[in-house]
Amino acid sequence: MHAPKIIITIILLVIIIISIQKFLSGGTGLVILKKELKSIFYSPIAWVVMALVMLLNGFSFTAALEILRKADVDETLIGYTFSSTSFWLTYFFIFPVITMRLFSEEKKLGTIETLLTAPVQTIHLLLAKYIAALIFYFIIWLPSAMNFFLFRISSAENIDAIGSFFGAYVIISLVGIFNISIGCLASALTKNQLVAAMACFTFCMLHFLVGFILQDLPVPESWQSSLFYFSTVKHVEISISGLIDSRQFIYYLSFTILILSFTYNVLEYRKWKS
Amino acid sequence: MIKVSNLSKQYVERAAIDNISFEVESGEIVGFLGPNGAGKTTTLRMLTGYIPPTSGNASIGGHDVFSESIKARQKIGYMPENVPLYDDMRVREYLRFRAELKGLRGQEARQGVSEAIDLCGLKQIRRQMISSLSKGYRQRVGLADALVNNPELLILDEPTNGLDPNQIRRFRELIKQLGIRHTILISTHILSEVEMTCNRVIILNEGKIIANDKPKDLSRELRSANTISIEVKIPTETAQNLINAIPGIKKVTKEHQVEEWSHLTIRTEPGNDVRESIVHLANAQGWPLREIRTQYATLEDAFVEITQANTSNS
Repeated sequence: MHAPKIIITIILLVIIIISIQKFLSGGTGLVILKKELKSIFYSPIAWVVMALVMLLNGFSFTAALEILRKADVDETLIGYTFSSTSFWLTYFFIFPVITMRLFSEEKKLGTIETLLTAPVQTIHLLLAKYIAALIFYFIIWLPSAMNFFLFRISSAENIDAIGSFFGAYVIISLVGIFNISIGCLASALTKNQLVAAMACFTFCMLHFLVGFILQDLPVPESWQSSLFYFSTVKHVEISISGLIDSRQFIYYLSFTILILSFTYNVLEYRKWKS
Repeated sequence: MIKVSNLSKQYVERAAIDNISFEVESGEIVGFLGPNGAGKTTTLRMLTGYIPPTSGNASIGGHDVFSESIKARQKIGYMPENVPLYDDMRVREYLRFRAELKGLRGQEARQGVSEAIDLCGLKQIRRQMISSLSKGYRQRVGLADALVNNPELLILDEPTNGLDPNQIRRFRELIKQLGIRHTILISTHILSEVEMTCNRVIILNEGKIIANDKPKDLSRELRSANTISIEVKIPTETAQNLINAIPGIKKVTKEHQVEEWSHLTIRTEPGNDVRESIVHLANAQGWPLREIRTQYATLEDAFVEITQANTSNS
C-alpha cells in the first residue's frame, strides 16, 4: 500500500468514527433510528420488497447452478449469481424503494417541522434516517447469503470460493452505502416520493453504467477509458473475482461522505434563504 | 420569557415581517392576531428556530433562538398549523416517541405521556392509529405533543382551526387551565377565543405590529366605543338640532323611525360621557325617552377597524 492511500484511509475512518460517536451522543439520534426501523418494518412495503428480492435471488441462484451443471466453466457459482439478469433487476429497484420516503414523506406530511423544532440536531436526523435505510438494505441481502450456505451444506462437492463470496458481499455493502446516500439526497430534495425515486434510480443507474453509456455517445476515447473507472459494473466485476481492493473502499466511502454532506445542506437550506 | 427585538424576515419580493419587537412575560397568555398572510406563522416559525430571521434577534428564556437553538427549543412546546402527525403510528406510541425526542427517558417519559394523555382527554383513543382520528382528536394529539415534556412556553399556531363550537369551547377551557402552569403564545383568528382567554393581544398586519394591548383596552380606544344610541318620541330633526348643541358631541345620525319613535346614534368625543346631559335635555323638553345605551365595541370591531385602517393607509 502506498503512503497517500494509508493517509486517506485513516482520514476516512476518523470521519466515520467521529460521526458515529456524534450520532450516539445525546441519544436523540437513536430515538429517531428506532422509530424509523419501526416504521419500515411495520409497513407492508418492507416485507413485499424482501419477498421480491428473495424471489429474484432465487432465480439468479438457480440460473447460476444451471450454468455450472451444463458446461465446464472457469467462473464460480458466486460470480454467475451476481452477474445474472435478476441480480441487476434487484440492484436497480432496491435503492429507490428503500430511500424514496425517507425525507419526502416528512416534507409532505409537514412532520419535518415538528421534528426540527424539537431539540433535535439536523445531523442526528440525517444519520438516523441513513443508518435505518442501510440496516434495511443489509437485512434484504441476508437471505441471499443463506443460499450459498445451504448449497455448501447440501452439495457433495466442496466448491471453495470464499474470496469470491466475501468480495461479492463487500462490494454489495459498499455500493449500498453509496447508493443509499444518493437516495437520501434525492429524497431530501423533493416532497414527491415518485420524483425522489426516479432521481435516485437515474443517478444509481448512470453511475452503474457510466463506462457503457459513454461508449455510445460522442465522447473522446481517452475520456471513456478513464470514466470507466467510475463504473460500478467494473467494481463489481473486480470484487466478485475475489479481489478486495482498498481503492474501492476509499472511492465509495469518500463519495458517501460528500453526498451526505450535500444532503445535510439541503436539509439546512431553509436556513439560508434570506 | 420571549424577547423579540427588531425582527425582520425578508423574502425575495416582499417583507414578510418588518422590524417587529415585543416581549412576553412568564405566565402570560398572549393572543397573536392578524388577517391571513399577516406573518403570524412566519413569526412563530422564527421563534421556534425553524426558519432564521433576516435581521434582528429573538430569545426564549434568555437563549437566542438561532445561536443557542437547541437550548431555546427545549423550553418550547410547539404545535404547528394543521398539526402534522405520523399516520402510521398509534397515539400513545407517537407521544412516547415525541417525549423521548425531547429528552425524556424511561419513567420520566412514561409519566409525561400519561399526564399529557389525561390532560388532553385522549385516554379512550390512546391505542388508536393516528390515521383513524377525527380532526378534533388530531388537534388534541398535537397539543399533547406540545405538552409532553412540560415546557415553560407553549406556542400554538391556530390550534382551534377546523374544530366545531363545542370542541372550541372545550379547547378554550383547556388553554385557561394550562395558563396556570405555562406561558402561552397562541395565534388565531377566532376573536371570541382571544377575548376570553388571553391577557394580552398582539395584532399583526402586513408584517408589522399595529396593536399590543389588553383586549379590553384595545376596544376602549375605538371610535365605536364612544357611541350612544337613544330612542325618543319626537320628530328627528328637532332632536338632532337640540342634541347637537350639547358640548362634546361630534355627530348625530338618524338610524330609523318606527311610528313616532326616532332612533338616533350619537357619536361623542373620546372619554366624554354625555348620557346624563341627554337625559337632562329630554326632561327639560318633556320628550318621552324609552331607551338610552352605550354601545360596547367588541374585539372583533377593534380587529376589523385596526387592520383595515392600516391596510388602506399603506
